[in-house]
Amino acid sequence: MKKITRTIYNLKKKIKKILYLSIITTISSAIAIPLWAEEKIEVFPSAPYDRFIIYQTLIFFWIGIIGLIVIIRMKLKEIERIQDMGIHREEKDIPLLD
Amino acid sequence: MSYQRLKKWFDERYDFHGLRSWTEHKSVPVHKYSILYYTGGLTMFLFVIQFITGMVLSFYYVPYHEQAHKSIIEIVTKLNMGWFFRSLHHWGAQLAIGVLFVHVFGTLLLKAYRKPRELIWLTGFILLGISIFFGLSGYFLLWDERAFAAVRVATGGAGNLPVIGGFIKSFLRGSLDVTGETLTRFYAFHVTVLPFFTLLLMGIHILLVQYHGMSIPLSQQNSVKKHEPFFPNVLYKDIIIWLLCLGIVVTLSVLLPPEIGKKADPLAAPPENIKPEWYFLFLFQTLKLFPGDIMGLNGEVIAIILISLGILFFFLIPFFDRKSAKGEKSTAFTWIGILYTVYFIVMTIVGFLT
Repeated sequence: MKKITRTIYNLKKKIKKILYLSIITTISSAIAIPLWAEEKIEVFPSAPYDRFIIYQTLIFFWIGIIGLIVIIRMKLKEIERIQDMGIHREEKDIPLLD
Repeated sequence: MSYQRLKKWFDERYDFHGLRSWTEHKSVPVHKYSILYYTGGLTMFLFVIQFITGMVLSFYYVPYHEQAHKSIIEIVTKLNMGWFFRSLHHWGAQLAIGVLFVHVFGTLLLKAYRKPRELIWLTGFILLGISIFFGLSGYFLLWDERAFAAVRVATGGAGNLPVIGGFIKSFLRGSLDVTGETLTRFYAFHVTVLPFFTLLLMGIHILLVQYHGMSIPLSQQNSVKKHEPFFPNVLYKDIIIWLLCLGIVVTLSVLLPPEIGKKADPLAAPPENIKPEWYFLFLFQTLKLFPGDIMGLNGEVIAIILISLGILFFFLIPFFDRKSAKGEKSTAFTWIGILYTVYFIVMTIVGFLT
């Protein structure tokens, strides 16, 4: 019985120690993080609204790029089809409607 | 003025018909390594991005050591889209040098340097050197402690070259050590000297490529399926690749904007665990392989001499590879090319991970 009481007492002591340590760590890091963050230079807009606009624009930009690529590929396929048929060369002495 | 009249005006003065017939006849061979033909155009596209973003940044950058760092912070934090242009310039440079390495190693492995294209190789190789110096000088303009230490190491390394080393070092630094004078000098290199030589050499390089046409690898000479017209087929494919690359550069610029370190202090000790830019890592790792003292001689000097000889051999490779010049297969030079490529990749990865 005495042994169990002693073990519980030791365990309580250890938990208290961990708790104190974690409180100290939390407080010190809460003080230190802003200090460390102050040294770091913001290289990207920090306002959430600005960030939202930037990411949204990036998505639109990619949609534009993919759209352009699709159009160019379609055009290329059409050119290749005409080239395969051999009708892309200009005929000489062709009558012109002027 | 109508289109027809404008056309007639130009036709009377310039040979547009000849130019048109040249573009109609310009073609590119199709084979299994054709993809490497696009790396040259892609490098040029990335250089154009660098020129445009560089011009924008130069409007606001102050090339004086007291204000350089502050002016970059102001570009990034106060100017509208300033952070984006700086980020584009940074990532554009990284990709340009990366694609340039792929272009050079591709040319090396396919032996596109062989007769009669030796001058294309030489101009391209000098352009690679200029691009690396572009990277180093641009990095230094940031005037933060890492860039400062990197330039001190790089110029110090160049100073170890026998006979001309001292001159190169003092010419680059502008004084005995890296100082504000070096910043002014590097700015001049970055915005005037290097762009001038880049445009000149790029012009010669492209003209020579047009003159000789695309090189076909020896192994593919009998298996070329067809020739594709450059206008518009290859140009359209080029544009698709450029658009994809533009998307990648913009995405990297938005998601990973480059950091700005602490302002450089010439009297402070260099920061710990300093590493050069990725394209110098293979040199950095090679230097590490050599001990400080080799048979009573300075190990670093020996390392610099050996590296310089290796680079010189790489530069003059078209003149050593006689078999390829005759149109014969040269296995030895294929292995030398593979060795150079693997060494560069492995040393860069090792340098990155350690």
